[in-house]
Amino acid sequence: MTALDSRVAVPADPAPDGVAPQRRGRRAARRGRDNRTAYLMIAPMVVLLGIFVMWPLVYSVYLSTFKISFYEEPEFVGLDFYQYVLDSPRFWESIWVGLYYAVLTVPTGIVIALLLASFIKTLSRRAAAFMKTTVYLPAVVSTVVASVLFVFMYQDEGVVNWMLGLLNRGPVNWLNDPGYALPAIAVPGIWLSFGITTLILLAGLLDIPENYYESAQLDGAGFFARLFRITIPLLKNVLLYLLVTGFTLAIQLFELPLIMTNGGPVDATTTPNLYIFNSFRDLTPYATSFSLTASLMLFVVLGAISLVIFRLVNSDKAIDG
Amino acid sequence: MRRRGIVLLAIAAVTASTALSACGGGSEDPAGKTTVTFWQQKFEDYQQAWFKKHVDAYNASQDKVKVDLQVVPADTWAQKLKAAQAAGKAPDIATTSYGNVAPGAAQSQFAPLDDLLPAEAFTDIKDNVKGFVTVGGKHYAYPMLVEPSTVLYYRTDLVTAAGLDPTNPPKTWDELLQWATKLTQGKVKGMTIASAGPDLGWSSWGLQYNACGRLPINDDWSKSTATEPCFEKLLDFYKTLYQSGLIPKTPKVGYADGAPYGQGEVAMMAGGSWVIGQLKNDFKAMVPKTAVAAFPSIDGDPAKTTATLGGWTLTVDAKSKGKQQAADFVKYLLAGDPAIMADFFKTSGFSKYTVRTSVDQALAGNPDATSDPFMKVISEKVVPYGKQEPAYPWDISLAFGTAIESAMKGKADVPTSLKTAAAAIDDVIKKQSLAGTAPK
Repeated sequence: MTALDSRVAVPADPAPDGVAPQRRGRRAARRGRDNRTAYLMIAPMVVLLGIFVMWPLVYSVYLSTFKISFYEEPEFVGLDFYQYVLDSPRFWESIWVGLYYAVLTVPTGIVIALLLASFIKTLSRRAAAFMKTTVYLPAVVSTVVASVLFVFMYQDEGVVNWMLGLLNRGPVNWLNDPGYALPAIAVPGIWLSFGITTLILLAGLLDIPENYYESAQLDGAGFFARLFRITIPLLKNVLLYLLVTGFTLAIQLFELPLIMTNGGPVDATTTPNLYIFNSFRDLTPYATSFSLTASLMLFVVLGAISLVIFRLVNSDKAIDG
Repeated sequence: MRRRGIVLLAIAAVTASTALSACGGGSEDPAGKTTVTFWQQKFEDYQQAWFKKHVDAYNASQDKVKVDLQVVPADTWAQKLKAAQAAGKAPDIATTSYGNVAPGAAQSQFAPLDDLLPAEAFTDIKDNVKGFVTVGGKHYAYPMLVEPSTVLYYRTDLVTAAGLDPTNPPKTWDELLQWATKLTQGKVKGMTIASAGPDLGWSSWGLQYNACGRLPINDDWSKSTATEPCFEKLLDFYKTLYQSGLIPKTPKVGYADGAPYGQGEVAMMAGGSWVIGQLKNDFKAMVPKTAVAAFPSIDGDPAKTTATLGGWTLTVDAKSKGKQQAADFVKYLLAGDPAIMADFFKTSGFSKYTVRTSVDQALAGNPDATSDPFMKVISEKVVPYGKQEPAYPWDISLAFGTAIESAMKGKADVPTSLKTAAAAIDDVIKKQSLAGTAPK
């Protein structure tokens, strides 16, 4: 039973009718006080959200109807910039690049993390603690440092091409070939994020009661049967969380392509955020309004993608053990 | 204790707001001293030292104006400037490239300097540079220097070892390809040139002029001309260099950085004249082994443009509250005593070129300047044929640079890459209403 359920499930009132109105009044007063306290407690967050999220969003939508100039009167252009963004092949290409990157990294990261988490679960307490620290380590490495590190690894004389050389292959032009650049960036992307994914999945795995597996084993279920009939269904909400956050974060990737390829070659690694950033850097009023509108459109696209994932996975209410 | 905390907080808030308010807009302190902010884009290290030296000297020379110099890295310049403009705190004085003068003037971003500087300051500017800072008959910037975007550097020792004549550098693109092929030996590549879209966007302007006599847009900016056959030859040239392995396929630095040549990774380099300063300061051992020539022309005609004359100016913000004080400093630094700018060109190792007749005269008496072999070649064989940087929006240059990159890296064939660029340029023309807005 969840905490929410326990608050709602109040025992039935055994009091006789005469006393009931008085008690009901007291309970209503207490509920009013509770509500007031609840509103007071969420008020700071609502106020902050209003000031720093809602108002800027509304104001941004208003500003996007102008060609913004910092030196002349802004020119009202209605929804023109929305049409410009929707018309822009580079905007849509950047969305595809973001989606392709997400497809490369999110499922791969989850599979690796699930395997690692399953492995860690089988270890002794001490070995598990060591493994958890080791696995989490990349998450604390700065993206900038990782980017520079991988740029060196991908050089013609770098370690990756050296290893290919041992197999009489290469050198491969990892970061300067439109076909290889994004997968090459996906590798540090997975490396940086799988630590936290592993820990979340491990927490999910440890939450599954061991007796489910014991019963399944007694019934003769093998590893895959246990994986697909017990583990994955019970991890559904965790996986949904990882998919939604993973996809939205992956599509918003910015630092890795900025440092490793600057969006090249031929826009092959220009993710939506990098595209918007580069559009903003042009000093024309057009560029300012265009990048603002493109940001708002990206917000809509990300919302739509999250919605699609929710629908596809068809999330259930949390199932307690 | 609590009260003391509040007082400290208030002091911190006041200090922060004072510091922020000093970020721009020409402020005056109670003693009547005006502070003007000056944002200098970060260039080579010696330039930062030169600017600081002369700002300090100006501040010490009088007590009416204090110039607050702030160095801003190039990669954060645009967003920082936009944020400051949005907040009404743009710097009073800023370094502005020639390419941004006309677009900035069109947006009323700069104060015209004609009423702020004496007329003789403008008569001193060389005729071929005056047009770079003039829009509608008014001067919106004061020029500092010009630097050709593309010059050919080559290693005389490697050229001799390859059986080539270092006194007779390649004159045509075909000859250059032959030299690059012969000079590609082991880990040393024949040459280096830009290979990333954004770098190609600006560094290929000179070669676009060379191939077609024009940039990929018509004169009144109403239509793209990127699909003209002459541009195909330009893309073929870059494509051959890349796909034949004559240039590094994974360059560690951008076009503006001459480090790969300085470190001996390539035998030739297409680079801006500024690389001379880099070689003289950071790779001294490479200087005696280096010769400079005008970049080869498509058909060997040395009078055809191979480089644009890029460079920097100082502009005064249109919203500055201390326009006159800002202009006074610009006059002191760029338009005053010729010895100040002569000092700059000496510090740069004569890798940049003067824009004022009086500074030329001041340098004429300097034996270092007159005997510098690099300066002689560039000022006689490159600068006279150099063209002004285009003033159209960057998106157009980027579209063409991306087309070159696309052909180089095999994303699309040459005609398709040019068609894509033409469509992108026409799209920019339409959406930014550029037709008929080309500066006259």
